[in-house]
Amino acid sequence: MMKVKDGDLDKLGLLFERYNRPLYSFFYRKTYESQLSEDLVQSVFERMLKYRTTYSGTGSFTTWMFSIARNAHIDHYRKEKRRREDEILDEEQIPGEVPAGYAEMDERNQKKVLLEKAIEQLDDDKREVVILSRFEGLKYHEIADIQGVTESAIKVRMFRAMKELKQIVTTLSEEYSHE
Amino acid sequence: MSEKNQQLIAEYLQGTLDEAGKREVEELIAKGDIDFIDFRAMEQLHDELDMIQVPEPSKEMSSRFYTMLEAEKEQVKSSLGEIIRAKLNEFFSYLTMPRLAYAFVLLIVGGFIGNQLGSNDAEIQELTSEMQNMREMMMVSMLEGPSTTDRLRAVNISAQLPMADQKAVRALLFTLNNDESVNVRVQTIEALTRWGDNPLVREGFVKSIANQDNDIVIVTLADAMVELGVKNSANEFQRLINEKDLAGATKKKVENTIAVLL
Repeated sequence: MMKVKDGDLDKLGLLFERYNRPLYSFFYRKTYESQLSEDLVQSVFERMLKYRTTYSGTGSFTTWMFSIARNAHIDHYRKEKRRREDEILDEEQIPGEVPAGYAEMDERNQKKVLLEKAIEQLDDDKREVVILSRFEGLKYHEIADIQGVTESAIKVRMFRAMKELKQIVTTLSEEYSHE
Repeated sequence: MSEKNQQLIAEYLQGTLDEAGKREVEELIAKGDIDFIDFRAMEQLHDELDMIQVPEPSKEMSSRFYTMLEAEKEQVKSSLGEIIRAKLNEFFSYLTMPRLAYAFVLLIVGGFIGNQLGSNDAEIQELTSEMQNMREMMMVSMLEGPSTTDRLRAVNISAQLPMADQKAVRALLFTLNNDESVNVRVQTIEALTRWGDNPLVREGFVKSIANQDNDIVIVTLADAMVELGVKNSANEFQRLINEKDLAGATKKKVENTIAVLL
């Protein structure tokens, strides 16, 4: 990134090749929307170019990149909040409704659905800690930098997220099997 | 549970606890300060999160990025201005539109094949290896046909084959190296990528690099090599750069691919 900052813009291509999938994965796990996730990946690289002169190189590049990603998602969410609320009312699944075909799924696929639904129900900060820690392999101190809190707070948040996930999975499993 | 213990468990889940930390967790479990059943359930749930998969992003994402990067470079190089910008736009519209058209064709062809085969699920399950042989024969025959649509359909049929048969792989590699249609070649790369563990496929991909002169095919091959981690393709890509006059964005894509592979 320092080379990009110094004007060698082609080096951003190298960063894109290395990080486009982790970023896409990060956004997809937050939104479950492929096209939106691709748009947000594009937005992150646009911001990297736009703000390249502010890159100090003192922290890890990954932390800087995911901080930008986090802000891109927040900005998008703010802009689209009204529209999303409408969509939730119009299109999204009513809470408590059993996902289509759930009863016919094998045990493994049922578990997968339960996990996806449970992660969706976590609040944004907890979901982000699980995504960055479990799926993107970031250390707790890096996530702490991204979320602007202490490392201890992130560890506690991770513990509570996992505990909550366990509870939600149990509750959903009971709800779905009774309907 | 105290926040200190919560932090210990979080570290345990991430695998960053040292030996002393692990001993501490064991002692806390032994004393009953950490409930063993809850702890095991949380550990199991942490492992099970692997089940949640993310689909692959479309190739459009890459095209959009390189378009944006080129546009930014254009702004920086204001002296070359509009002339280069126009050429790049022309290039990228060339890069993008056939892919959209190709995706549309695939959608229709895929739907057609799905309809044809989907209604006979029960029968398909009963088909024996003879059916696989028939499929292969049909695929090879269609690959040799004059119709691009038939050849695309043939490549799609290969996806129905449960395993990588040498004959089918050789037929697809021949198509990759010789078919006049870019769409057929691109789809062939994607079909072969499904059998990326097969040494014949990997070797065939590497040898094919020198035969390609179309930007879309080269970019698709580059993506496939990164996806499959075929490190020995880097030398062939380097030779391609040295020997052929590649378009700017394609050359950069190949250079980045080499850097990732090395």
